[in-house]
Amino acid sequence: MKNNIKKNLRVLRELFYLRVHGLTVFRLDFFGPFLVDGSLFVIQLLAFEAVYANVDTIGTWGKGEMILYLGTFSLLNAVNMTIYFFGVNNIPYKVRSGEFDLYLSKPVSPLFHLTFENISPGSVPLIIMSLCMITYGIRILQIQLTLTAIFSYVFWTAIMAVLYYEVEMVIRSFSLYLVSMARMEQIEEAGIDLCMKVPGTALYGIYKVIFYLILPYGIMATLPVQSMIGEMNTQTAVYGTGTVLLFSLVTAALWKQGLKHYNSTSS
Amino acid sequence: MKRTVIETNHLVKTYRRYKKKEGIRGSLTGLWKREYEEKTAISQIDLSISEGEFIGLIGPNGAGKTTLIKMLTGIIAPTQGHLDVLGYYPNDLKNEFKKQYAVVMGQKSQLFFELTLNDTLRLFKEIYEISEEDFQKNKNYFVKLFGVEDLMDVQVRTLSLGERMKMELIAALLHNPKILFLDEPTIGLDAVASKQIRKFLKEINQKNGTTIILTSHYMEDIKALCKRTVVVNHGSKIYDGETQELFNRYQKNKKIIVTFDEQDMDITLKTPNAVLLENTLHKKIYKVSKRSAKDLLAELMEYDTKDIAVEEEEIGVIVERIYQEGSACHA
Repeated sequence: MKNNIKKNLRVLRELFYLRVHGLTVFRLDFFGPFLVDGSLFVIQLLAFEAVYANVDTIGTWGKGEMILYLGTFSLLNAVNMTIYFFGVNNIPYKVRSGEFDLYLSKPVSPLFHLTFENISPGSVPLIIMSLCMITYGIRILQIQLTLTAIFSYVFWTAIMAVLYYEVEMVIRSFSLYLVSMARMEQIEEAGIDLCMKVPGTALYGIYKVIFYLILPYGIMATLPVQSMIGEMNTQTAVYGTGTVLLFSLVTAALWKQGLKHYNSTSS
Repeated sequence: MKRTVIETNHLVKTYRRYKKKEGIRGSLTGLWKREYEEKTAISQIDLSISEGEFIGLIGPNGAGKTTLIKMLTGIIAPTQGHLDVLGYYPNDLKNEFKKQYAVVMGQKSQLFFELTLNDTLRLFKEIYEISEEDFQKNKNYFVKLFGVEDLMDVQVRTLSLGERMKMELIAALLHNPKILFLDEPTIGLDAVASKQIRKFLKEINQKNGTTIILTSHYMEDIKALCKRTVVVNHGSKIYDGETQELFNRYQKNKKIIVTFDEQDMDITLKTPNAVLLENTLHKKIYKVSKRSAKDLLAELMEYDTKDIAVEEEEIGVIVERIYQEGSACHA
């Protein structure tokens, strides 16, 4: 186990170096994401300003909570973009084209290899901008930061980043079973788009079922914020942890069975 | 006695494929009610391969060669039958097993096109957990063997197909695999590059004792490298024996391609059994029995030719002949 972790860390280091080598070959590949991600962030802020110029609250949350919420969602998205999105997003293509064969023949977990082979350093500024936004939200809300509050927020953000990854993986694991993914990724895009603007606390009825259980984007930034502003109760904490565990099991099972189900493509 | 490294018994692989009815009506009906057919890609294959063997796996397109390689490497699972490679069931995908073989697919690259081979090899060093000392030793050995010292710091995308295949082989051999699976490694390569690759493979098999399983469409590859050949067609094994015997018994003709500077060269041949297959302005293609090939060549040399090439019969022709003469006693 210990040796395996050490090996994976060494592989991760080499994958990172290769990625940096690859990105520096074409200068636009290296500098482009800084510009694109920065622009997207500014657009999000402008949309947020436009909304809050007209309304005072969304659900029970005011502007301060919403800035904290938006910053947290933006942070989760930035971590996703930096570390695993570009690797995970390629899985259906690699399965369809048969390139996946080569990952199966290497003595390292194909999931690990695929997840970390396209790390994007260009998205790091997005993490920094998100952290600035979170700090600004905390200042507006005049929250007294304690070690417990910081630890709790970091814990919930970390496990929600794992959940974000797992939901992405569940959707893309279907490519191991189905030839066509029927643009299932678009459901993910729509879910993220909605939940980035509307916190889980403002969702009711069927929307709550969808975004708390089926595609749990509704809890991803909501729970860390609730932990920070003191709104989290035991029931919510148990639900959040349970959802992450459930998705971990579903992701692992879908992936493992998918590998057995994989039929490659004709040469 | 050498140990068996690959053993299969009654190996079967079937796929289910959708049979779409013709026309728009058929397409719409297919949304609700579908007909599937079972396609047998591999049918009851028994195979036993010993350590250090160099085996040719041949057959026409769709015969099941690649499917067999994919099952032996664990990429896909068999539908039925027993499969043992180096003491493992390949589709368990155990890392200990994957460290002991390498696979090179002529149509799929494991290299990073924008990077150099040196960059890629560093990743492979960590993936295969090769010590720095062994890494340097193996790298230097293969780089020298393949004569690619000047290409190690060049972007892979700028290399020729032949150079790239050498790089693929270096990457595959870096961890000293016990078994090397090669799926069409010379596809698309010119005669010189193919010859070089063949030379290296021979050396690796003889010096390092690496077991090599080679699939190829080119009879020259098989003839030059493999002592034993397995012929598959429609998923079944129809020949398993010495390559020399295969060629002696089933390859009865040669193809001779002659090109001329002069247009419509008038040629009258005395060699018996020489059949003119193709006749264009500057080129003539003859089919002739192996025995008479020498006579025909001597006769053609008397004309003012630009070039003469001799080709082996294609795999499809040999497969057909094995069928005609009965395959049971060889498989």
